[in-house]
Amino acid sequence: MTYDRRFATTWQLLMDATCTVMGLGRDRPPPVILSSLPDLPYKPRARAPLSFVQGPPGRLIALAIGLRAALPDTPLVLIMNADAVSLGTNHLIHAARRNIGLTLLLLRAEVTQTDDRPALDRLGWDRPEAQQALEGAARPLEWVSALNAAFVGRGSLHDPDGLAEVIHQAVEARGFAVVGVTAETTLERGVLSRAEWPEYFDAYREWARGLRSPDGGAVRGRPAPPPPARPVPRCEVRIAGLGGHGIKLAGAVLSEAAGLHAGLWATQRGEYGAATRGGPSLVDVVMSSEPITYAGADHADVLVALSQKAAERYAAGRDPRGRLIVDAAEVTDRPPGALAVPITALAREHAGAPIAAGIVSVGCVAALTGVVSLEALRASVAEHVPGRMIARNIRALEAGYAAARQALEADEHA
Amino acid sequence: MSRVCFMHGNEAVAEGALAAGCRFYAGYPITPSSEIAEILSGRLPEVGGVFLQMEDEIASMAAIIGASLGGLKSATATSGPGFSLMQENLGFAVMSEIPCVVVNVQRVGPSTGLPTRAAQGDVMQARWGTHGDHPIIALTPSSAQEAFHLSVRAFNLAEQFRTPVILLLDAIVAQLKEKVELPDPADLVVVERPKPTAPPGEYKPYAFGRGQVAPLAVFGDGYRYHVTGLVHDEYGFPTEDPEIVNRWWEHMTTKLDAHLDEIVQWESVRLDDAEIAVVAYGGTARAAAHAVTQARAQGLKLGLLRPITLWPFPEAAVRRLAGQVRRIVVAEMNLGQVRLEVERLSAGRAEVTGVHRVDGLAITPEQILAAVQDAAVRR
Repeated sequence: MTYDRRFATTWQLLMDATCTVMGLGRDRPPPVILSSLPDLPYKPRARAPLSFVQGPPGRLIALAIGLRAALPDTPLVLIMNADAVSLGTNHLIHAARRNIGLTLLLLRAEVTQTDDRPALDRLGWDRPEAQQALEGAARPLEWVSALNAAFVGRGSLHDPDGLAEVIHQAVEARGFAVVGVTAETTLERGVLSRAEWPEYFDAYREWARGLRSPDGGAVRGRPAPPPPARPVPRCEVRIAGLGGHGIKLAGAVLSEAAGLHAGLWATQRGEYGAATRGGPSLVDVVMSSEPITYAGADHADVLVALSQKAAERYAAGRDPRGRLIVDAAEVTDRPPGALAVPITALAREHAGAPIAAGIVSVGCVAALTGVVSLEALRASVAEHVPGRMIARNIRALEAGYAAARQALEADEHA
Repeated sequence: MSRVCFMHGNEAVAEGALAAGCRFYAGYPITPSSEIAEILSGRLPEVGGVFLQMEDEIASMAAIIGASLGGLKSATATSGPGFSLMQENLGFAVMSEIPCVVVNVQRVGPSTGLPTRAAQGDVMQARWGTHGDHPIIALTPSSAQEAFHLSVRAFNLAEQFRTPVILLLDAIVAQLKEKVELPDPADLVVVERPKPTAPPGEYKPYAFGRGQVAPLAVFGDGYRYHVTGLVHDEYGFPTEDPEIVNRWWEHMTTKLDAHLDEIVQWESVRLDDAEIAVVAYGGTARAAAHAVTQARAQGLKLGLLRPITLWPFPEAAVRRLAGQVRRIVVAEMNLGQVRLEVERLSAGRAEVTGVHRVDGLAITPEQILAAVQDAAVRR
């Protein structure tokens, strides 16, 4: 170093000690130093700049965690006083529990030339002594030593070579390390504790190696299907009932049949009641050969109501030319124009459970709109239910289709 | 060849981030943004990236800044309460000119608000959330398709202009599942961070100049320099010299303003002959576009101006619009944050009214149409 240590400032001594890491570890890149105080080597230009981050006190621990993720081998040295440790304790706790490879230099009060008290007393305010006596001393090294740090050491600015050696050992510990820095003349430098467990990002990389996908996981989706032969005008479908009717599944099967098999644009928006609670459940599907603007089926072209409440709540809002299908058993008080289809009964008969009511409903929608073919719906069902359930769900779909056709013909003859 | 799949806006954001080269995510899960974290926790390790759940959003923001300084494209995602916590470090990223992407899926606020309900109430927070005058970019998608593309664009703009970019979603777009066409990766424009060419001794990490953005050296690449939250000179060292401070302001205020043509995007729908216009963005713009179709069917000459870049605001487009139409109806899920901008830019030339909703429910085409018809009657 170019300066005489007898006249060195505390800061120069610290930088000096820290930078010995550069010389000692030839196999390592130069360190990055983080502090809430800026480094000012250019007035006068005593040395070249360091890789240095000055930022919000305490938060720099979290910033250093990100740096560590990006730079596994660069020593990261944080310089912190009691206030910075206080501000950053939440970050410090989590860095310690994960054993993230950071080296914290904790400046004891005599280094920062204060007493062992937080900021207020440093301002020299004339506070009543009795009030000051209420406050305990700030001892960051003691706080941090209570954590499971991989390395805890200490050194004094009066023994710069010794301090540098402790810092070097802390960096080499390759884990969460703290070094108490004091200005005591009698302090013996040394390592207070040391533990061996893997540094977090070393362990993360080892774990993630097995997850690397051969194609980078980059290819998603499937080749786009050809667009429909004729333009398909906007078609709004609302299926409403209760949790346990399989309404979310119905929305996914219908919208994806349209979007991924029939070459249309499609949206699926819903509010799904929990199956066990039997709360109200609803899905809106909008399909068109043009991109979908508003995704609500407030004026449904087809409304399927699986409960009396759903029929009462939504029937009036449907498009004036829209079709209303109601479950023959559940909806006894039927709005005018309703087509009754035994949806839940068909679900039980063909799929063995009322949860297939949604799939039966999708069959009904196909029969009434013609927007999506049964073929596309069968393919979509096969992508959404487990293998052993496919056949019975396709039977439920086809049963809904046939029943709705039948109800429609009966209605037209009536 | 492009491919199709079904995804909601949050998933599209995550896929866009991966396609743009994001390799570090730090976050704290929060409704209605959590799916972004969930998806990236599985997908990032697949592509050699790192996913880290942090202790809070303060730490998340700090960590993505650190990872970016280390050379990784980095992002976090949150909602209003977390976005509030991020403001301190967001300001640090602005000041130190470190690229990163912050996704905010808005919900009704302030405070815990309506956690699962949609809102667009963080428009002004995205602009002025951190203290002090500062440049910022905020983008807002209207569909899952656009969420994918704007996610990619957010990373590109962050790298190009060395700035945090805020991707502002609402829960309408974030939670709506729809068809998305994923472009062939070969067709995607991905901006990589330019490397400095100056020798290490001459490198100016913050070279000043009108509209100039210096290349950011990655720590460990042979360049040593000073990064600080203090006002600094071109080398990154703090200064209080008013002459340098004013040159720094010139640099900061022009670094985006000199490139508005590259940054600011909006969509216009049937504005050519419009007499009345709706200004709407994000999920609300979809209801507005539907209202335009309905109004045209009734013979009303309605058009839509949809800001895609919210900040810098499409000022020129709105000024032109105010000279063309008689009335502008601003539809947004807040009490008038963009309406204020539109009123300012209209400067009395067009009458500006609003359709505002803050009860967590989406604005419907009927509401917008009713406001437009009201405006049409009062001609």
